[in-house]
Amino acid sequence: MVNTLPALVIIVPLLAALMVAAAGFIDKRACFPVAVAALSVSFLGAAALLVQVVNTGLAIEYRFAGWAAPMGIVYVIDHLSALVLVVITAVSLVNLVSSKQTIHREFADKEGAFISLYVLFTAGLIGMTATGDAFNLYVLLEIASLSGYALIGLGKARAPLATLNYLFLGTIGATFYLLGVGYLYIATGSLNMADLAAILPGMKDSGIVLFAFIIMLSGLFVKMALFPVHGWLPGAYSQSSSAAAGLIAPLTTKVTVYIMVRICLNLFSVDYTFHQLNVSDFLVWVAIATIVFGSLSALAQTDYKKMLTYIIIAEVGYMVGGFFLGNRMGMSGAILHIVNDAVMTLCLFMAAGIFLWKTGSEERGDLKGLFGSMPFTMAGFVLAGLSIIGVPPTCGFFSKWYLVSGGIAAGQYAFVAALLFSSLVNAVLFFRLFEISYFEPFIDHHHGSDDGGGHGGAGAVIQEAPMAMLVPFLFVSIMLLVLGIYSGRIVTNIIHFAIPAGVI
Amino acid sequence: MKLIGKMTILLCGILLIVFANKFPEFGDPHSPASTHLSPYYIEHTMADTAVPNMVTSVLADYRGYDTMFETTVILTAGLACFFLLRLPEEEEKEIYFRHVPTGVTIRIEECGAAPEDSDVFQRIDAQWVPRDIIIRSTSRLLMPFIQIFALYVVAHGHHSPGGGFQGGVILGAAVILFAISHNLRTTVAKISETSAAIMSAAGVFIYAGTGALCVMLGENFLNYGALAPLLGTDRVMARSHGILIVEIGVALAVMSVMIWIYYNLSSAGKQDEGL
Repeated sequence: MVNTLPALVIIVPLLAALMVAAAGFIDKRACFPVAVAALSVSFLGAAALLVQVVNTGLAIEYRFAGWAAPMGIVYVIDHLSALVLVVITAVSLVNLVSSKQTIHREFADKEGAFISLYVLFTAGLIGMTATGDAFNLYVLLEIASLSGYALIGLGKARAPLATLNYLFLGTIGATFYLLGVGYLYIATGSLNMADLAAILPGMKDSGIVLFAFIIMLSGLFVKMALFPVHGWLPGAYSQSSSAAAGLIAPLTTKVTVYIMVRICLNLFSVDYTFHQLNVSDFLVWVAIATIVFGSLSALAQTDYKKMLTYIIIAEVGYMVGGFFLGNRMGMSGAILHIVNDAVMTLCLFMAAGIFLWKTGSEERGDLKGLFGSMPFTMAGFVLAGLSIIGVPPTCGFFSKWYLVSGGIAAGQYAFVAALLFSSLVNAVLFFRLFEISYFEPFIDHHHGSDDGGGHGGAGAVIQEAPMAMLVPFLFVSIMLLVLGIYSGRIVTNIIHFAIPAGVI
Repeated sequence: MKLIGKMTILLCGILLIVFANKFPEFGDPHSPASTHLSPYYIEHTMADTAVPNMVTSVLADYRGYDTMFETTVILTAGLACFFLLRLPEEEEKEIYFRHVPTGVTIRIEECGAAPEDSDVFQRIDAQWVPRDIIIRSTSRLLMPFIQIFALYVVAHGHHSPGGGFQGGVILGAAVILFAISHNLRTTVAKISETSAAIMSAAGVFIYAGTGALCVMLGENFLNYGALAPLLGTDRVMARSHGILIVEIGVALAVMSVMIWIYYNLSSAGKQDEGL
């Protein structure tokens, strides 16, 4: 009996996206339930796969059209991809559930198209994560990018321009990756990752392979917004609608980092990446520059969402730097941070969505008095802030701990310093937000307060966000604690097996 | 800043050229690309899939899973154009009609009543271009031939260059030719946006659904061999027929997406007179 779970995880969302696209023109009410059902099935499938992989310790292979690799296309679910699959499906599902009302309000007539693109985007990321074929990865990257551009394109006034910018750079990134795959095909005649990994050690000194490595990695760096090719990210994410930002901001950069890890470890082997080529020191320095730049730019923002986008850039630096430290601690930290950062970013962007709903603005100053009127939301927001800063027992602390230990073990003290600097900057940023929202009285722009400041001060009336937004948000913020508590187990049971045995 | 940009581009270009030098000779039979996987496809295509055109068998069978997502990419483009460009239909203040028998244009202002739907009055826009009988008749005459050729291309993908993508594009081009030679409103009246959108999704659904059917029959996704009992043939022929089924899905999707994108692009999302 074939294990069909790897196929179901992506096929169910794909079929659902097609049905939603059609339903958008027939009966809009059907769109949302179908999408939620499909993403739930996908999430359960991913969770089941993770359990299977952890229990058996073996990777699961699925052959599409029944052809064995390297003739056909296979999916390979191992510890790493199963973990990332669970994160993708969970983030996508929770964000969709919480944005039902905003989607309905912002995209009235195009609700079907939005939800369909949303599910297609998720399916693209799932496929990129699960695939064992270098070219298939590109095809799914196209799906995720194209639907991502569309989702981001309809937002605030400057969203189309920011998206066009993103489209140019994103296309260059994707093309570089494709070019790299083409070079590898010329050099080896194969597209299957496992097959390539078997052939490549024999041609270590080939110039074509070297160039393929360089250009694939450069393409991915553009896609993940590493400094200095980060220019597209702040505009694209801060101008987009809440529902789209809540999906794309937590996932795109993280999945791209995952692909970088996958390519370096499983396609070009540890030996080639870290010993043959002497690039890891250089890339750690690039990561340090990314962290410092991201943190400093975040400090300069007064717009809450824009600040978050620069924090995302700094976090990309954490993961890339941690990975290229080249030791087990650093890599564990980088992979753990893929999970933690996805959840943290989701939490912060959901908070941004709630603030926007409440105050109609994303300016920092407009958070005044929200502790009084939305105590539960703000409690969740404080958790998310503490996690980004890296305060135990939230999950942000543990991945940072691994990264810092890895940095010390590798003797990269500048990386350690950059991490600590960035944590301090995050502390400044978030405590400033807490201060504004705790001490300054609430001013209600949204509902037009003309009754002489009756809302302000200690007597503020509790007006929480609607349950459909609040409950998923609180769930995610509690997940930050749960992930923190279980991070040791995640590392020993899952991430430990994702890193090749040769890495100490 | 500009200088840095130019230098980077120059550097990339030089690198590309330098490394392109290291490629195997063009058409070299001993290059890795010709010796590793290609021989398998060349030797086994007939036995595995009963399709003489190797490109088709690699495209729609060995790597059919990629092709399914390529079709999805096209659908995504259609959805994206709709999502970003389509404007809600708004009540216009002035509406223009043409009295077809006399060619007189009438303008109806906000409070006036528009004529009933009939052959006598035709809705037009302010930037109306006079009809050209030669262009219109020629296009109408050409359309059936274009469409029949498209169907040939779809059906003949097994034996010669062709297949769903190419055939679908030609089918879509026929409708776009109609829209250019007449006008968008007439075309939308014949193929509504709703039906174009639903057909786009349905085309991809035929592809993915065929794959899902194979899963339901207990085999791997897109393993057309599983369809043999349903099609009443052996497993090898079932693969050949399976390829035809998905090619039809691809053609439907490509055609409808072409039309759908044309509707939204040519009228900037308003879907009025168009170009």
